[in-house]
Amino acid sequence: MEIKSHEAGDIIVMELEGRFDAYSAPKANEWLEEVMTNRKPPNIIVNLENVVFVDSTALATLVQAMKRCRQLDGDLRLSNLKQPVRMIFELTRLDRAFEIFNLEEEAVGAFSA
Amino acid sequence: MSKANLSQDARMLSAVISGQRGQFKSMADAWITTGAKSFSVWAEGAQLAAWPKGVDGIKPSMRAPIRLNGGDVGELWVEGIGTPAAEKTLIAEAGFVSRLARMEKELMGMTERLIDTQDQLLAVYGLTEATRNHLEMDDLMVQLAEKSTELIACEGAFLLFKESTNNFKIKHHPATLLDDELIQSCLDKVSETKSELLLNLDETEYSRAGLRNLLFMPIIIRDEVSAALGLVNKKDGDFLFPDIRLARVIAEHTGSRMEHLILFQESIEKSKLQVEADLAQKVQLRLLPKKFPKVEGIDLWAGSEPASQVGGDFYAFVSNPSRPFTFCVGDVSGKGMPAALLMAMCRTVMRTKTNVTPTPTPEVIMDECNSELYDDFTEVSMFATVFVGQFHKEDRKLMYANAGHSPVIYCPFDGQPVLLEADGTALGVLPESLAEDQALHFRKGDVLVVATDGFSEASNHDDELFGYDRLLKVIKMLSKKPARDIFEGLYETISNFSAGRPQDDDQTMIVLKGI
Repeated sequence: MEIKSHEAGDIIVMELEGRFDAYSAPKANEWLEEVMTNRKPPNIIVNLENVVFVDSTALATLVQAMKRCRQLDGDLRLSNLKQPVRMIFELTRLDRAFEIFNLEEEAVGAFSA
Repeated sequence: MSKANLSQDARMLSAVISGQRGQFKSMADAWITTGAKSFSVWAEGAQLAAWPKGVDGIKPSMRAPIRLNGGDVGELWVEGIGTPAAEKTLIAEAGFVSRLARMEKELMGMTERLIDTQDQLLAVYGLTEATRNHLEMDDLMVQLAEKSTELIACEGAFLLFKESTNNFKIKHHPATLLDDELIQSCLDKVSETKSELLLNLDETEYSRAGLRNLLFMPIIIRDEVSAALGLVNKKDGDFLFPDIRLARVIAEHTGSRMEHLILFQESIEKSKLQVEADLAQKVQLRLLPKKFPKVEGIDLWAGSEPASQVGGDFYAFVSNPSRPFTFCVGDVSGKGMPAALLMAMCRTVMRTKTNVTPTPTPEVIMDECNSELYDDFTEVSMFATVFVGQFHKEDRKLMYANAGHSPVIYCPFDGQPVLLEADGTALGVLPESLAEDQALHFRKGDVLVVATDGFSEASNHDDELFGYDRLLKVIKMLSKKPARDIFEGLYETISNFSAGRPQDDDQTMIVLKGI
């Protein structure tokens, strides 16, 4: 899995590509840990547009990061979920725990609102 | 010049004549037959051979050079003939002798290398014998340092082994001759180049301590410079090419011995872990009930198949005469031992809360569990999807709460199967559980299948998932059968679908049928 990132004001956007699973989760976790350590408050958007699959370890990684961000007065929000990935968030009702946006720009806008 | 003072090349030419005397005699005979007075071979002013026997041959009418590696090594002389045709022949013969000389020289070189290799093999054999029985890294290093000092004929040696990125240990023989700072800087250099480093320490601060030279040889284990061999002060001079070659052989041997030792130690660790995992598996299997309670109005079957030795799935029943029959199925995120530990905790808390809470509806049980385990889940970055169900026999009401769990399928005896979707997030995600009590009328012939995603996400050879649609169809097809047959039929269908592919995720299922 590839990780790219760009900034939108105070917000950092993490772009993932490929399968987000038990094998790639440690890499994503490392990236998130670094951002959460260095940014105060950590406001992160994870753009999942190019993610084709997520497993429970990947979900746990996102949940963990979201909890940490909120503890540190920031947040981790999701955007651009593809249908199969969105379905997993709906079935596990993680859509009730995360703020999920159709488009990255909307997520950015919601942070500044 | 006498023959005794000849150069190495001239002596070799002499050796060629001795070895090929027949050839030279034929050439000489041919010249003498055609009228020449003598035929002789010369090098560095000395006569190496001459025909006819005893002739001095010192007034040649023709001379032709014998060449070796671009230089003249000797000459062929003929007395008494000097025609241009004869001169051409003599030049051709000198060319032939040059080729013989070149071949002889190559042969000598090969012989030297063979002897060299033989010596090295013997040395390495000695080294192998000496290090064979060491099962501790420290012992092996001491032994290797000692043997290397001996084999390379130097004043001291040391073996270095990197225990982690920033830590290494060193064993010196016979004493510590170098400080760690110099060793560290050598290690940094060879880690980049992956080839040996030869340092002349004359006129450096180290020369005061009696250090003259250092050969630092990287040892590569699993494609990385993970160790090094250092050789200090070559006796009687400098480290030369044969020393470097032998040190390379020792380094290679050392690398493979160290790798064996690492593998050996890893396999011991692994077998220790294996014993622990076997034990954990036994404990876990005991946690999953094999005997199912008898519940009035319900036919029941359940089972669990972990993907690895221990799993993160669980199921439990609480059958207490003073309380409605309660059951749960859960799936802890992740796999292996951490998931298994949380699974055991989850199951225990579920059972306890069901037994001690005054009115344990599924929603209450779920909320209590979440409060109890939220911090633990957060600590280890995990969560668990859980389904809690409760059957009230008096009015055949089936109450349930679903915290992010799927698939749960309800198949009424007179209708189509439907997915009972979750309303709450998994336990451990949010401080409060959002799952609320739901209820349905569970009549005779109705079926409820609570499975884990190891079923719906089982995949076949084309990476196609089994999926919910197939699951619903198979359950409908099996719904007239008893709980155990439905359970086994589903297992069989899914294992046929994934035909021989290793199971990716734990597979757990409870089947309830109204009777």
